[in-house]
Amino acid sequence: MKVLMVDKEKCTGCHQCELWCGTEIASTSKELAGAINEEPHPVPRVYVEGKPFALQCRHCESAPCLDACPNGTMRRDPETGLIYVNEQTCIACWMCVMVCPFGIINPSSSMKVAIKCDRCRNMGYPICAEVCPTGALSLVERKDYRKKKF
Amino acid sequence: MRYIIVGGSAAAISAVESIRSLDHESSIDLFSDEETPLFSRVLLPYYIAEELSKPLLNFRTADFFEENKVTPHMGVKVTSLNTAAKTIRTTDGQTYAFDKLLLATGGKAIIPPIPGIDKEGISTLKTMADAERIFNMKGKRAVVIGAGSIGVEACISLTRRGIKATLLEQLGQVMPTVFDAEAAEIVQKRIEDLGIDVLTGEKALKFTGDKRVTGVVTDNRELPCDMVLLSVGVRPQTELAIQAGLQIGELKGVRVDETMMTSAKDVYAAGDVAETHDIARNAWFLNAIWPCAFEQGHFAGLNMAGRKSAYPGSYRRNSIGNFIGIPAISMGVTHAESCAMASDEDEFREIRVRTKDTYKKLVLRNGKIIGAILVGQTQKAGLMSILLKKQVNIADSIPLLMSDRLNFMDLLPILRRNADQFSEPEYKELMDTGL
Repeated sequence: MKVLMVDKEKCTGCHQCELWCGTEIASTSKELAGAINEEPHPVPRVYVEGKPFALQCRHCESAPCLDACPNGTMRRDPETGLIYVNEQTCIACWMCVMVCPFGIINPSSSMKVAIKCDRCRNMGYPICAEVCPTGALSLVERKDYRKKKF
Repeated sequence: MRYIIVGGSAAAISAVESIRSLDHESSIDLFSDEETPLFSRVLLPYYIAEELSKPLLNFRTADFFEENKVTPHMGVKVTSLNTAAKTIRTTDGQTYAFDKLLLATGGKAIIPPIPGIDKEGISTLKTMADAERIFNMKGKRAVVIGAGSIGVEACISLTRRGIKATLLEQLGQVMPTVFDAEAAEIVQKRIEDLGIDVLTGEKALKFTGDKRVTGVVTDNRELPCDMVLLSVGVRPQTELAIQAGLQIGELKGVRVDETMMTSAKDVYAAGDVAETHDIARNAWFLNAIWPCAFEQGHFAGLNMAGRKSAYPGSYRRNSIGNFIGIPAISMGVTHAESCAMASDEDEFREIRVRTKDTYKKLVLRNGKIIGAILVGQTQKAGLMSILLKKQVNIADSIPLLMSDRLNFMDLLPILRRNADQFSEPEYKELMDTGL
């Protein structure tokens, strides 16, 4: 499957991806000025923390969030392999928050649903990669680490 | 290949999915003594709170059996298991043969031997039938006995429906297997703020009333009530395993090896019925929680379908969700003392940070996380969970782990030091960034 990778030489840690994810994906107004003033605050799905690196859901091959979700709210799209939250059925039990090894699933500001990156599965291309001013984010095929090296 | 699954909850369904990921053709027969398929036990408190209707309790869609080519036998109990002949007998009078069988019979609610326990208006909360009974009780005052996760959630659920509830716990704090005293104090305050009376260190001695319960007599008082909910824990449902002569552990669960196989060849066990190696305790343990059941079912299914996969072990994980207004998560052991199989050389440490609204605690054994409690601020709980699961030394990163700036990228040096433990592609590709 494809994964989002970050070129560490290009990522400056400018948080543009976070800002746009929060505006375009999380907010209701879809405009920066409106998003900033929204209550509760929109929660972006990408995190630039610790290092100049934009971290989103890695869509794990064996995903702890899928095993922990008690009502099938966390789902994997069989075609793309992308894991997403079916927000209508989320009961805010935070079991997924409890087990996500990357710490990228979080409660919404209203504490009603779990929020995570679905890599803009209903859009053409992930917004974070699209807006990155240095082109640091790109969608690449996941490396097969099990392949034997000769 | 003929597969038989005994049970119809998390471990069973997870095993079906794993079998079907490798084997699309073989027959799968699933037997459950409950009539309602595919509902999530974890959600029963939401049902009695009238927050979720019955269809919304399902964790898989109604066409799951059809989609996965499973023949369901709902409301059919398996009465005997012959591991030599590889057959089962059921209450519908039939005998079925299998090549691989999964025992996922789950747990059953403990009914404490308190005088008057058989009165009307007294129920456990484990099955759909229990939930419906409680839902229809039309009580005004309830006493919930046992302040574990289910007890607390059920108590709050009843309160949300306008029933005046008292929570009774014989130990000195709420959620004694989940939180330490300090976290429990924060949680208890929150429960009380919802209008619930919480009585700890107090034991139910008998129930009063003729036909229907009218009160609970404790060692300090009598609590008038017209309904009682029992939530004092669960025990593995092992009748079938015992009858079949499977090895039973000290904690009365079915012993399984790394492949989730029981002492009988081709007979596997997973979920609340299984006694597994607990990573945090470094001992056999019963972790009757949803994520463990699902994981174990997953590994059992893979092994049953012929792909050798070693289950890394279980560890407790609990989240209180949205019930008390703040998130609270706990995993592994709550105290260093609760660790069995400790040797003299083992060095234990507990680290705590308390602010007005938050509490964070780590329990370490030889520099490795074996327990974590997070109250109020729980966003990076999963990082503790993976470090606990992988049992890597984090002794030099304690300030980072305890701080609010904790994030995954800063843990990369720990992952790199233990690269053989983090062999999954999602970790490798991030280690490869060189950050």
